[in-house]
Amino acid sequence: MHIPDGYLGPTTCGVFYAVMLPIWVIASKIVKKTLKARQVPLLAIAAAFSFVIMMLNVPIPGGSTGHAVGAVLAAILLGPWAACIAVTVALVVQALLFGDGGITAIGANCFNMAFVEVFVGYYLYRIFSYGSGVSSNRRVIAAGIAGYAALNIAALSTAVMFGIQPLLHKTANGQALYCPYGLNVAIPAMLGEHLLVFGWVEAVVTALVIKYLQKQAPELLEEGGR
Amino acid sequence: MGALSFFKESIYAEECASRSGYLQYLDARIKVLIIFLMVLCVMLSKDIYAIFSLYLFCLLLSVSSKINILFFLKRTWVFIPLFSLFIALPAIFSIITPGEEIFGFGAAGFRLSITRQGLMSAGIFLIRVLTSVSFVILLTLTTRNTELLQALRIFKVPQLFVMTTGMCYRYIYLFVEIIENTYLAIKSRVGILLPHKKGRYIVAWNIGSLWQRSYYLNHAVYTAMLSRGYTGEPKALHEFKASVLDWLSLLAVLILITLVLYLGDTGI
Repeated sequence: MHIPDGYLGPTTCGVFYAVMLPIWVIASKIVKKTLKARQVPLLAIAAAFSFVIMMLNVPIPGGSTGHAVGAVLAAILLGPWAACIAVTVALVVQALLFGDGGITAIGANCFNMAFVEVFVGYYLYRIFSYGSGVSSNRRVIAAGIAGYAALNIAALSTAVMFGIQPLLHKTANGQALYCPYGLNVAIPAMLGEHLLVFGWVEAVVTALVIKYLQKQAPELLEEGGR
Repeated sequence: MGALSFFKESIYAEECASRSGYLQYLDARIKVLIIFLMVLCVMLSKDIYAIFSLYLFCLLLSVSSKINILFFLKRTWVFIPLFSLFIALPAIFSIITPGEEIFGFGAAGFRLSITRQGLMSAGIFLIRVLTSVSFVILLTLTTRNTELLQALRIFKVPQLFVMTTGMCYRYIYLFVEIIENTYLAIKSRVGILLPHKKGRYIVAWNIGSLWQRSYYLNHAVYTAMLSRGYTGEPKALHEFKASVLDWLSLLAVLILITLVLYLGDTGI
């Protein structure tokens, strides 16, 4: 889902930088207010955690592998605003230091993964786990549903960004300048693979990690959800 | 990516950054600005030849920075541009991009043709992605990571964010090592290829365990920060100094960008 440089035109890149700027400012203010001084390194540690999750290959039926984004997991464990910053930092490190994901597309990538996926996932988890105890099975199911739905909504948002490129940027003779596929191709292609494969990877990983923490460190689930 | 190749690539990038090439000599702030301007120029350019000339310029920069050209080509073509090539291929056909036919074939009443507009769309898309990726990788190969993050201050990125990014970068190595050791321990005990269901459980337990360790690590890190004089406000110790060569390089790049955009737009 990481959009590299060259896929999106200047309008889309500019708009999503402009959209993300106030979100980053609000997130910083909220996190500064709620995070205790001794928890400052937690943001960096959470960002590194988010980065490493994206590196882990999860086995899928048929012998292949896929990877989770981990944004919903970060949101459940840290709360949505801190997760927004953590995933943003992970994406910036990926783009700047490892050349994975574009510099011009950082705004768009952060909108999809650090905003849409984080907030949709967090609130779905809160709705489905409402009133349940820390060790309740409902929390595991809620985490799975939130992971699956949030990743697919983020994938839809990415597909729309790709799909509008031929509408926004085309030469007079019909030649596309950026991503050459319209909405009729981009949406089914992106959603198909996420609905069938990557969504399930995200759901299974998110649910199993919550199950693990319920057994091994339930206090961490109580801290983050607030 | 395996942990070993991850470490190998990082160490090699640091080694490249310490060579005495042209880009390594530049002030990190000016270099970041130059590369960002080049990527922006690649994004704004509408002419395939203009973008191709920027790609050649990028290769020239890599040679002048003492980066092995074969290594650079391999590093930049794999994975994003190669993936983009496969993505771009269907766009050359008339079913995606209708237009002036160059070559066509048909069977059972169905005709498929390659169009000039389709070829140009796929070509400009591919060369744009390749050139952008090449410039960014050139930046990472010629700049020490700590300097690169500190250089973000010229874009008025808050110091807290820069500090968090720098700390995140260091923890990535620690976490990759923890994960690698855990997998090695599992492999040495299990000794067989695990079924995919069990494999998923192991990945999830690893992530859960990593978060548990990370959370408890937080306290130790904060205590270490306090012992080194952290007062709640992050401070940058590294000070940059731009030389005449830095300003001349920036000026030359600005002229090049203006020319490329002007000539590209006017179709000269």
